[in-house]
Amino acid sequence: MRNFVAVILALLPFLVQAQGSIGSFTADETMFYAQTKQVNQFFLRFNAEEDTRGNRLYPGDVGYHDLKARKKYLEMLFDNSSPMINEDKKFVFIEDALNKRNPAFLDFYSNNWFAELSATFHYKKEKVNLILYLKIEKQLQGYKWVISNVYFDRFESWFTHIHDTLNTSHIIHPMSHELDFMNIHKAFREPENIDYYLQRNYQPDMLGLFVMEVKNGNLVFGSVNTVKFHIFQIPNWYFELSWFNRNSNNSGWLISNVLRLTDKEKKELMRNYTQVN
Amino acid sequence: MRKPVSVFMIFSLILIVSGVKAQDNISPQRKQAIDSLALEKVRDLSKYISIIGDKQTPWSDAQRVIERAVELFMENSEVGVSSLGRQDVNYYKVREYFDRLMQLNYDKVTIDWYKIQYVSDLVRQPDGTYVGVITIYQRFQAFDKEKGLVYEDTTKKDITVYVKRKETQIGGRLIGFWDVMLGDIRVKETSK
Repeated sequence: MRNFVAVILALLPFLVQAQGSIGSFTADETMFYAQTKQVNQFFLRFNAEEDTRGNRLYPGDVGYHDLKARKKYLEMLFDNSSPMINEDKKFVFIEDALNKRNPAFLDFYSNNWFAELSATFHYKKEKVNLILYLKIEKQLQGYKWVISNVYFDRFESWFTHIHDTLNTSHIIHPMSHELDFMNIHKAFREPENIDYYLQRNYQPDMLGLFVMEVKNGNLVFGSVNTVKFHIFQIPNWYFELSWFNRNSNNSGWLISNVLRLTDKEKKELMRNYTQVN
Repeated sequence: MRKPVSVFMIFSLILIVSGVKAQDNISPQRKQAIDSLALEKVRDLSKYISIIGDKQTPWSDAQRVIERAVELFMENSEVGVSSLGRQDVNYYKVREYFDRLMQLNYDKVTIDWYKIQYVSDLVRQPDGTYVGVITIYQRFQAFDKEKGLVYEDTTKKDITVYVKRKETQIGGRLIGFWDVMLGDIRVKETSK
C-alpha cells in the first residue's frame, strides 16, 4: 500500500498534466488518488485495465491484465478494517482470482452481479425502509439496470404460514370437490390465515406485490440511502462491495465481505437477488 | 458571452470523422477525444458554479451564468445531495440547485476545485446513447464578516455524461460528430 501511494505521489504532476485538470486548488490529494472513486474504477483496478496514473489500459498495452499489477491492486481493494475479512481468507481469494492458468476477471456486462439499494419509501404515509435489488440487462443497442427483486418486511409478514406443514385445521378437506367447494368460504373468513391454504412450494412474488403497491399509490419513493454490490463472478467466491467514506487511502469502493462458496451455495444466495427460482 | 452551443460545435467539429455510419464500438483514441470534450463541459460547469457561488457576482450576471450552466445539461437533470450527517438524498432540478447556490446566506463564499478528476468507461444504453460518469472534487468555504470561516466541506461530484453520435449538413456534406451533454449529478460530502 505504501509503495502504491509513493508511486501515486511521484506521478501526481504527470497525472494533472495528462488530462488537463478541471481545478487548480492545491492541497494534498493523495487520498483521492488512492480512493477507488467509482465502481467502474474498482472493476478496472481488479482486472489491471487501468495503470497507476488512472489511464485506461487496452489489450496490447503494457501492464494490461498483468498479474503482478493485479496482485498489488487487489491487496488495496479490501476494506482493511473489516472484521469479516482475515488475512488468510484474503490471501486465498487473491491466489484463486489470480490463478496463473485461469485468472478470473470482473465483467460489467455479466449477469452475476447485483446492486443492493437500501431505500426509504412512504407506505400508506408511514416512512419505511425497503431493499431493492437490481441487475444489468441487455436491451436493443445497449444495457440498463432493472429491478430484479425487493425485500420489504410488511410483504414478508403476509406469508408467515406458507411453509407451515403442521397446521391441520386451516384446510379445505379432500372431499370438498364433491360439494362444489361450497366450504371454501371458510378459508376467507380469517384473512390473516389465507396463506395456510396455498400450495406448499409457493414462492411469494414480492416484486409483483411491490409493483401493485406502487401503482396503487400506497408505496411512494423517498430516497436512496446506501448502495452496495454483490459479486459472484469469481469461481468459488462471492464478495460484497461497499462505499467507505473516510479520510484514508483505504477508502471508496472496497470489498467489505468475502465468502468461499460452492456453486450450489452461490445459486441459493443469488435467489435472494432475483425472482428466478 | 458566447453561447455554449457554438463553443460545443467548435469542439465537436474537431472530432469530425469521415463517413456517417453509426459506430457500435468506440476506439480508445475516439474515447480519449470524447473524454476531452466531456471534460471541457465539466470545466465550464465548474467555472459557472464558482461564479454563481461568488458573493461578488452581481445578481444579473449570476442569472446569465445560470442560464449558460443549465444549457450544459439534458432536460430534467437533477442534483442529488447528501451530507455526512444526513443519509437521505435531497433532489434538486439543476436550475433550483444553482438558484440555491446563488442565494446562500453568507458574506463570502469560496469554491475551489481539486486537480484530480476521474473519467469512467462509456456504456451504451438501449437507445444507442453512451453514458459515462466524471468524478471531481470541490472544496467549499463560507465566511461570516465577524466570525470568519463558519462552514467548510469537501464534496465528491459524480457527473453523468451522455454522448451521442449526431449528424449535420455542412456545405451539402453529411458530417458526423459526437454530441456531449451533462446529466444528473450526485453530490456526496467526503469524510473530514
